[in-house]
Amino acid sequence: MFKAIVSAATLTSALDSVSVLVDECKIHLEEDGLEIRAVDPANVGMVDLSLDAAAFESYEADGGLIGVDLSRLEDIAGMAESGQLVQLELDEETRKLHIQIDGLEYTLALIDPDSIRQEPDIPDLDLPAEVILEGKDVNRSVKAADMVSDHIALGVKEADEYFYVDAEGDTDDVHLELTQEDLIDLQVGPAHSLFSLDYLKDMNKAIPSDTEVTLHLGEEFPVKIYFGFAEGQGQVTYMLAPRIQSD
Amino acid sequence: MEFATFADRAAAIEAEPADLEIVDLVRAVLEDADADLEIVARFVQGRVFPAWRSRTLDIGPNSCYEAIARAAGTNVGSDDVEDRLAEVGEIGEVAASYEFGGQQGLGAFTAGNDDSGSAGGAGDELTVREVFETLSELAAAEGSGSQDRKTDLLFGLFNRCSSEEARYLARLVLSEMRIGVGEGAVRDAISEAFDVPVEGVERALQVSNDYGEVARVARDEGLDGLDAMELEVGRPVQAMLAQAGTVTDALEEWEEAAVEWKYDGARIQLHHRPAESDETAPETGVFSRNMEDVTDALPEVVEYADETLEEPVILDGEVVAIDDDGAPLPFQEVLKRFRRKHDVEKVREDVTVRPVFFDCLHAGGDDLLEEPLTTRHDRLRAVLSDSDGPEVNAANIEGLSLLWRTDDPEEIESIDAEALEGGHEGIMLKNPESTYSPGRRGKHWRKRKPDVETLDCVVTGAEWGEGRRATFLGTFELSVRAGDDSEERRSSGSAVNSQTLETVGKVATGITDEKLEELTELLEPYIASEDGQEVDLEPEVVFEVGYEEIQTSPTYSSGYALRFPRFQAVRHDKDPEGADSLERLERLREA
Repeated sequence: MFKAIVSAATLTSALDSVSVLVDECKIHLEEDGLEIRAVDPANVGMVDLSLDAAAFESYEADGGLIGVDLSRLEDIAGMAESGQLVQLELDEETRKLHIQIDGLEYTLALIDPDSIRQEPDIPDLDLPAEVILEGKDVNRSVKAADMVSDHIALGVKEADEYFYVDAEGDTDDVHLELTQEDLIDLQVGPAHSLFSLDYLKDMNKAIPSDTEVTLHLGEEFPVKIYFGFAEGQGQVTYMLAPRIQSD
Repeated sequence: MEFATFADRAAAIEAEPADLEIVDLVRAVLEDADADLEIVARFVQGRVFPAWRSRTLDIGPNSCYEAIARAAGTNVGSDDVEDRLAEVGEIGEVAASYEFGGQQGLGAFTAGNDDSGSAGGAGDELTVREVFETLSELAAAEGSGSQDRKTDLLFGLFNRCSSEEARYLARLVLSEMRIGVGEGAVRDAISEAFDVPVEGVERALQVSNDYGEVARVARDEGLDGLDAMELEVGRPVQAMLAQAGTVTDALEEWEEAAVEWKYDGARIQLHHRPAESDETAPETGVFSRNMEDVTDALPEVVEYADETLEEPVILDGEVVAIDDDGAPLPFQEVLKRFRRKHDVEKVREDVTVRPVFFDCLHAGGDDLLEEPLTTRHDRLRAVLSDSDGPEVNAANIEGLSLLWRTDDPEEIESIDAEALEGGHEGIMLKNPESTYSPGRRGKHWRKRKPDVETLDCVVTGAEWGEGRRATFLGTFELSVRAGDDSEERRSSGSAVNSQTLETVGKVATGITDEKLEELTELLEPYIASEDGQEVDLEPEVVFEVGYEEIQTSPTYSSGYALRFPRFQAVRHDKDPEGADSLERLERLREA
């Protein structure tokens, strides 16, 4: 049993943050909210999302599991204007999702969850450095690095207490330092890892610029990127594996 | 089998020039493939999926370059990959020139991951099976964004490759394996590896079209298992092919020839399984000559099958485009329909197609490949007939291509004439006793060789016909100009008379009654003398005639005779001076 009403904006934010990594996903319809975990085909980037029942206008579920084609569902959600509400109801018989936006009714065929890539085990990482910054600074860093390279190094300079971004291109380089003053918070620790911008650019698309973003970093370790949406009732954690630095 | 091992073996095979040694190397890799035998048997040929499956990777070279670039390291773009490709000319070499594995996978950081060996690598060693499974997932991806997803999957594979692995992965993905392993080599290697006769392997390959399955069955079940492999409704086999041939040769080699019309259409293989009950739907598959699934493009064929067929069958035939009166249209029209994926219903209104079947490979549970052609054709007729209705003339059975058995060249000519008149391409000559050999271009099926050259001959005589044709001239005597084509002769302007003409044969076939009437009208004014049915004609009219060959002959004054001459057209634009000469006849004979 699943029946819920949610604002179009909240639904779209949730879907967008998953669709940057995968085309299809499983959605767990838990009693206290929705949960999605997915990993990209190369097992390099993953997303762990939860949307609490409190984020919905109304929410009823009893622990079902559905598989969806994200782009189809996004298209439907896109039919709503930002203030509009979307009603979702699962037909257990036909395994279809009935979606209603005012007078518009849409019946979406679901995908067999077994045919969707297995959900990832979440690595249990002990990452020494923590950086809390505004979404717009993440956007700016990624954008600057992308001008010169297809990879980006993220690190923390322990002695001088700042977070930095490095990107080395064939000819041009980009370097950005953010000190305690520029950041919301910084816990220093040994941290320097190189990441593919292919992934980070996609993840960045889902990060709102006015949101508080938490990065957990280590040396040659994955980065964990955490942010909230829907007034904190939705949570997204991305994890991205590093690239080995050749020199 | 680890993919690295496969890559090593592939490299050794590629380096080996001798065919026998190649078979031996393939044998060894098949023997070592264990649980991955089916995959390895296909990979050595550069195939990911069995030939009978229409599934393809459907990935463009650009996506592959992109995946290689992403795996290759920092600041390598697909442009760089393309530049290198332009330099070295082969994608395997390009892929092998990069170092992969820089991007780590999350799996390396998951608790309990046994990643002790490859420090910082993206996990454990890539296996042949993982490559196959990932490529299967890639092939299954469809819809919006699927190209990106395919690139992601491929990137994931390249990222785990060594240089040598990447070389063969890139080639496999782009169908450019080219390590010198042909189908025959794999067949022989299966035979040697699992100690089964090569004929048994060959037969099993013919019915299944699946080197992987045949290799596995040969290993696990031996010859008995191979012999038990049968055609399966829904799994296409290769079509039997024809070579060019002549009526003369066909009648010399066979006591009788089976003659069929040759349709100007596209070859199809129809697989049909009737509905098992009222609740289930019939299953129909239509495949091209290359075993591509074209079912959706040809709804008429599916409808025909659903209406007509009452037992599971595999039929061989052609799909022909027809006009509003049912007359065949040229091949180009069929192509507007064949393989079409979009707007099928719309184009169906413009171009109508209908199927015609000439062979039956399987019916009601019986494989018929080993049966003689005539038996298969009888079965075909039974399959296409309405079993409840009264016995009808074969000519009235919809979708049945007629078959005539004859040893009479004249009859063959008239079948040919009728086929051409009906707008078809000509005739096929088949050995009535021959079995069906999938994928073979043998001498049992021959398309009558189209006339290489035609001759323009002067009509110098004719005969009055008999019976219905008593008022028509027929059996026209043909002649060529004696002597050569020298300028002097041309310019002399001397009228051609019967002394300067030499006879080369008589043409009686390839002419309809309507045409005979027209020709009689045209020739009657030139009758010089009559003797009973025989008529001498003034040399005035020129016929264009086709023929199979030119033979020496004492019968005609030229010393030559045209074999199987066929009337093509009246050359109204030519007078006897413009007709062909004996010299050209001799040149053509030598050519």
